[in-house]
This record gives sequence, C-alpha cells and structure tokens, in this order.
Amino acid sequence: MSSQSTAINSQSPGLKTYFKTPEGRYKLQYEKAHPAAVLHYSHGKAVSQLTVAYLKEKPTNQPLATPSTPSSSGVRSAAARLLGAGNGSRALSFVGGNGTSRTVSGSSRIGGSLGVPTGSGNSQAVANYDGKGTYLIFNSADTLFISDLNSQDKDPIKSIHFSNSNPVCHAFDSDAKDGHDLLIGLHTGDVYSVSLRQQLQDPGRKLLAAQHYNKDGTTSNSKCTCIAWVPESEGTFVVGHADGNIYIYEKNKDGTADSSFPAIKDQAQFTVTHARSSKSNPIARWHVCQGSINSLSFSSDGASLAAVGRDGYLRVFDFAKEQLKFGGKSYYGALLCCTWSSDGKYILTGGEDDLVQVWSTEDRKVVAWGEGHNSWVSGVAFDSYWSAPNSEGAGDNVMYRFGSVGQDTQLLLWDLAMDEIVVPLRCCPPGGSPTFGSGSHSAHWDNVYPVGSLQPAPSTRDVPKISPLVAHCAHADPLSGLMFTGESIVTISREGHIKIWTRPEHGESNPSGSSEASATACGARDRHAAASTKTSGSSLKQPSSVLFS
Amino acid sequence: MVMGATGSKLEKALGEQFPEGERYFGLENFGNTCYCNSVLQVLYFCIPFREQLLDYYENNKNVGDAEENLLTCLADLFSQISSQKKKTGVISPRRFVQRVKKQNELFRSYMHQDAHEFLNFLLNELVDILERETNAANASPEASSSSSSSSSSSSEKVANGPSNPPVNGVRKDPFVTWVHDSFQGILTNETRCLRCETVTARDETFFDLSLDIEQNSSITSCLKNFSSTETLNAEDKFFCDKCCSLQEAQKRMKIKKPPSILVIHLKRFKYIEHLGRNKKLSYRVVFPMELKLMNTVEDPDTEYSLFAVVVHIGTGPNHGHYVSLVKSHNHWLYFDDETVEMIDESTMHKYFGSSQEYSSNTEHGYILFYESLGRSS
Repeated sequence: MSSQSTAINSQSPGLKTYFKTPEGRYKLQYEKAHPAAVLHYSHGKAVSQLTVAYLKEKPTNQPLATPSTPSSSGVRSAAARLLGAGNGSRALSFVGGNGTSRTVSGSSRIGGSLGVPTGSGNSQAVANYDGKGTYLIFNSADTLFISDLNSQDKDPIKSIHFSNSNPVCHAFDSDAKDGHDLLIGLHTGDVYSVSLRQQLQDPGRKLLAAQHYNKDGTTSNSKCTCIAWVPESEGTFVVGHADGNIYIYEKNKDGTADSSFPAIKDQAQFTVTHARSSKSNPIARWHVCQGSINSLSFSSDGASLAAVGRDGYLRVFDFAKEQLKFGGKSYYGALLCCTWSSDGKYILTGGEDDLVQVWSTEDRKVVAWGEGHNSWVSGVAFDSYWSAPNSEGAGDNVMYRFGSVGQDTQLLLWDLAMDEIVVPLRCCPPGGSPTFGSGSHSAHWDNVYPVGSLQPAPSTRDVPKISPLVAHCAHADPLSGLMFTGESIVTISREGHIKIWTRPEHGESNPSGSSEASATACGARDRHAAASTKTSGSSLKQPSSVLFS
Repeated sequence: MVMGATGSKLEKALGEQFPEGERYFGLENFGNTCYCNSVLQVLYFCIPFREQLLDYYENNKNVGDAEENLLTCLADLFSQISSQKKKTGVISPRRFVQRVKKQNELFRSYMHQDAHEFLNFLLNELVDILERETNAANASPEASSSSSSSSSSSSEKVANGPSNPPVNGVRKDPFVTWVHDSFQGILTNETRCLRCETVTARDETFFDLSLDIEQNSSITSCLKNFSSTETLNAEDKFFCDKCCSLQEAQKRMKIKKPPSILVIHLKRFKYIEHLGRNKKLSYRVVFPMELKLMNTVEDPDTEYSLFAVVVHIGTGPNHGHYVSLVKSHNHWLYFDDETVEMIDESTMHKYFGSSQEYSSNTEHGYILFYESLGRSS
C-alpha cells in the first residue's frame, strides 16, 4: 500500500489532468519544464519561483489587462507596453539604445560561461520571439528560464545562466517607462535589473545589459528572498533578505556613493535607516524582524506593503510614511507567502501551520482560517478575473475567489463571502480567557486593534474556519507558487515544473492565439499530458545525461 | 583523533557567543553505537532532564556501595560532560554503553539499532530504577535487596508506559518521577459504540507519539490523522460492554494531557507485506520550528518549540547512521558521534525527506523533540 503510493508519487500516473469546480472543469493545457527538471532540487537552495510577464504590442491604448492583484510569494504578475516594437528589428534598436545607457556596472560580473550545458535550444530564443506575448519567468538552480505561456513547447525559449550564484526571486514591472522591467535577486544578495525584451531578442545564455545593485554584497551579503516593484512609482523597488531587512532601491540611480548602513542595534525592533548619502543606492534599509523575510506584497496602489517572515508575523506598512499600520501572528510557525486583494480590503497569508489566513485591512486582524492543506502553504493568490455567478443583490457582500498551493502538492480554490462566515460564539468559555463585555462574539472578534500594533496568535476557538471549494493534487512534487491569468491558473513546483490549467469557459475569444491549441482534440492533449507526466522523471526531449543524478 | 581540531573549530565558530558554562562534547562510537550517541546528546540538551539527572548525581554520589545501573551510569556520564574543563572535545560513553548491552540483549550485538527503541528502553528503565529506589527507601530494609533481581525482569518492560506492579498485593497510585514530569503525556482513547452510542474512554500514558507518515505532508497533518476518527467495522468490530456483543464503533485518540517535552517518532520503518521485510520511507514530512497541537488536544493553544531532532541517515532500516541536531542557546548544533558542528536553522529543510522515492538525500528527521513554551496567549 505505501509502496504503491510511493510509486504514484514518483511517477505521477495517478494525477488527474482536470479538476471540477461549480463553474466547470479546469483542464491541464500545457506543462513547462526546464531541461534540468529531472535533477532533484538542490535542497531548497533553489526553490523555483514564478513571474508572469505580459509583453504587449505597441499601441495598446486599452488599460492593462493584468490583474491588479499585485504579487504573491514567488509569483509576480505584471504587464509592460512595448513602446517601439512592431517587429523584432525596431524593438532591438529601441531597447538596445536604452540598454546601453545603463549597462555600466553589471556586465563584467555576469559574463557567465556560455557553453554550460543544461541543453536548451538556444537558437530558438529569437526565432520564437515576436515582440509580444505572455511569458513565464522562473528560476531553477543557477539558471533563470523564460517560457512562452501560450506555446505548447515544454522547453523554455530562453535560459540565462548565472555563473556565480543562483537567482532566487524576480519581479516584472507593470508599467516600466524605460527598458528595465525585470528584477532578479540572487542568493548572494546581488540584484539586477534588465529589459526582458532585450533578453528575449538574444539567443545567448548571458544576462544582457544589466544594471547591478548591491554588487558583491557591498550593502548586504544576506540572501535575497523576495523582490517587488513599487506600483505607481517611478522605478522604485524593494528587496527582502534572509536577515530580516528590506532594502529600497531606485532603478535609475547608480549606487556610486557609500551604500553601507550602520549595524542594527536591536534585532527585534523595526527601524528605518536612510542612506547617508543622497547618491547611495539602496536609498533606505528597513529592519523588519528577526529571521528571514519570506515574502513581500504591495497593495495595487503602492501605498501599503505587506511582509511576512520567519517570526510568523504579517506586518502591513504605510510605505510612504515608513510606519507599521498593523500586524498579527500565524497560529504557529513561519509565514511563507502573502498577497493583497485587488481592492486592498483583504490580505492572504500562508505558512507552516498549514493554514491560509484571511486578514481584513479594515479590522486589522485575521478574519478567517482556511483549513485544507496537508502541509505548509507556499503560495496564495486572489483570482481577480473571477466574478461571482449570481450577482443579484450584489452590494456589500462581495465574494472573492482565491487559490492556494502547498508543499502537499495540492492546489486549493476557495470562495470567500464575508457575510457567510460563521463567527464563533463563546457562550461558555471552557477555561479560556474572559470575554470582553457581554457580547456573544469572542473577544478576538469584537476587538478592534489599535493602529500600529502587532497582535499575538489568536486562539483557535476565536477564528472562523473556511473550507476549500476544490482540492486538487496538481503535481507530483511540493508546490511553490500559483498565478491567475485571464485564461488559466498557472502552478509551479519547487523544482520548476509548471502546469497551466485552463478555465472552464475557455473559448474562441482567447486573444493570445492559443485557440488553435484548445481546438485540437482534448484527447490529444490528455495523451500529451499523460505521456509527459509519466516520464517526468526523465524529460522527453533530453537524453540520459541528466538521469539518476 | 580529531579531538582538539573539531573542538577549536566549533569554539571559533561560536566565538564570544559560546554560552557560559555550556559544554559541547562529541561521543566516541564503539561500533554502531550511533543510535545511542544521538539519543544521549538530545537528552543532555533537554535541560529539565539534564538538571534533574545532575541533581540526582549530586544526591547519590556519596552513597558508597550504590550498585551500578543505567541511571547511575547515565548520571556519571552527564556529570562528566558538564564538569569538563575544556569547552569542547570528545568523551567516551564506554561505561554507559557497556551497561546498556549488559541490560538488554537487543542492544548487545554490533548490528544497527533503532534509536527510537533505545530511547524508549532507556526512559522506561530509568523510571523503573527510580521507582524501585523510592520503594526501597519507603519500605523495610529487606525490600531493598530485591533490587538485585530487578535487572533480569526489567528487560521485559520495554513496552510503552510504566506498569506499576502491586506491592504486597496493594496497587499503589501511579508513580510519578522527574522522568514523567518531563516526558509523560496522557492519551484518551475514545470509542463510541454505533448501536448504543455509549462512549468508552480509556486513558493511557505515553513518552512519545508514534505517527504514521504520508508523502509530502507535515507534522501537523500527521497529528491530525493520528487523532482522526476511525471506524471499527467488518473484521475489526468493537466489543461493547453494554450491548454485550461485537458492534461497529468509532474510535478516536485525543491527547488529554500534553507533555512538557513532546517527543514525536515518525514511523519511517514500515513492514511491507509483499516484500516480507521492513522498508525505510524517505517521505518528505516537513516539521515546523514551532508547533501547536491543533486537532489533538482540548486546550490547543499551548505552543511547542523544536529543540532537537534525531536524524537517520541511510536508505534501509537495517543499516545506516544516526546523528542529532540540537538547539542550544539559540544555536543549532550537529552531533555526529565524535564531531560537533554549528549549523544554520535555515538548513533544517535538508532533513525533511524527499518527495521522490530515489534521491541522493538520505538524511531524514526521525525523532522530533519539542519543548512546551507554556500558553502563548
């Protein structure tokens, strides 16, 4: 029995290629992997994270079709408008001109070895690239991979090799005014900004025309853990590190001046330190907590920053005022991921207590726990494309759809309707703390916490519990992130295996050219999926060099 | 020997942060005695246990003709470690290991042994010795002579939970020693007959929880399964005293009294019927640095903090190696027989297990030790 389940897990023939929801079936459309995906991950040193990047053709006057939900751990969604590119050559000249102005500091460092074989077809990078599209950016070991979301090719169209350190986190700008829209944070603490388009136009395996920040760890040699652009800003971005610090950078600034910061006196205290020189980049350091920062997320207006970390606290900051607005603790253990609802009213977190926590930013506290994962929750995201089926009487009672993924290999979908949440009563507290006043609700529920305070973990009796709508074993390996797009849900495993699940109402209106693919027989797709999952231990296109390592 | 070398390296790594009065000593291996060394290191850094044992040593060292037993050997060893002049080095637990082999033939061979079985044997043995000593002190002088015969009977008591033999035909109240104070918890086994709805509750004590594990799960999830409701039916019906017959029933285990040191044993060695032998499950089971017993206890908000892990290294149940990871004064240390190294908490994930069946990583968390931090809220 147990050996059977082992077999299922290692070869995953038992994984279904669809799952059912009230609105219909989500179907596995494509899988993406990198040639080295058969290598077992080097034990957490390189947990794959996912960024979805929308590159649009020039005259896009329509508003961004991207989710305004910013980012969750490991998953970034963003859009960029290409200003000058109808075809490849024009784009090249445009970006090239822009890029050279900011190449200066980085290029010496990143001139990695060109010929290191992870074996992807380099020459395809340019061939497939037509200046627009939706791209999946993900890291694995020492390489950053880029795949075309809407292509059925399993292999990435581009891989960028880092010779000295592993890329661990990345983010794409929703509104880059100039070329540099992609951020990459490394295990060494180094940070790069580059133009995604420029990378796609080059078949090589080197990072091109990068600006290099925190070069050789001059400011911090602690591992980058998460990175995010500040929405609605002029190229400001933040980087979270394993030592509990967040650094604020301006992308247009060369960090020529002394950019060191004084030692932190009290590890447990939140402190903001501005750079001594106005020429310094980073421009500020926020010391947030003891232990690692695990995830960062901005509200869509860029006004608020949520951060979670090893100490188990969610902290929500007023970014401009550099102040803590509120915070609270997991039930127990570290928090691993966080994200905002697009209206800024709710924050989701997930962590080592196997729970998805729903926080209300108005009430400044946890309002529900999602129970359903059998291991740590590693990714959370709101589905901002989803609308409640019956919108009659839609007034105050907004419904939210969100998803979560965990190290239990499961993808869970949840519906959140605040008016349906059952508030726990505390008629006769069984030896617990006394209730406040005579209200029938628990103390936690009635309390409105003061601004700027960190709340301890609530008692399990005080928090309403919600259950998932769907639980689906999506991968054979623990998951690290998920992302909602207009047409699909994208999930990624820690080892860099990506699956794209198309929404039920998937139809002809698909703008990104994948309609032909969906028109081909389901059977073919299922067969493809079955074949590839069966051999996921040994990639179809890769010869045996990477097997059984 | 590498004594000096490893010692100074650790001291250098800790530098000024070397905790005042603390000793970090490796333990010599006498041929497959790593199961013993890994458990000894964990017990040494289980502070309430160590302090009680050193107290015991102080109170008993002047009793001249005290007979040697496992308790005195362990107390000697701990005292020897704690009174070293050097801060680091290697110590030989020879006398203790010899005593173990003398006491229990299971551990006499040079075969690979199970660290969990050893921990269980040791704790129960210590409890028995303490119990006998107390009985002897309370009873007439003749009674104390019975201790000489005890070593032969003690090997039968490897099973969980101390049994309290009737003294002079009168069953005494459960005997509580300082070993119990640290490690003992109480489980309630609730069975509800589905015919008459009668709930039968039976309490049992435990020193550790043995959990079934699943691939890609967490300790939280394994605990949830441990406490989940199980239906007894078909071949496995329950004899209901009220119905006076076999009935279908629902069974559920709950922790009635959580222990102050929570020991969780992951059942990584499982008998596989069609193979006809034990197999090691290398499943990935994540364990958090902090834990609450959400689904298993009536008052679930007591927080535990991980302070030690016994790690089994190897692919099979009958061979391999044990090491232990121990948190001392907020630093994590890696004890591998003679060697002691500092490690970072962020490397703990290496010991979770593997999500693939065949993996080069074979170091798996096997026994987890959590200490209660008291009610957090």
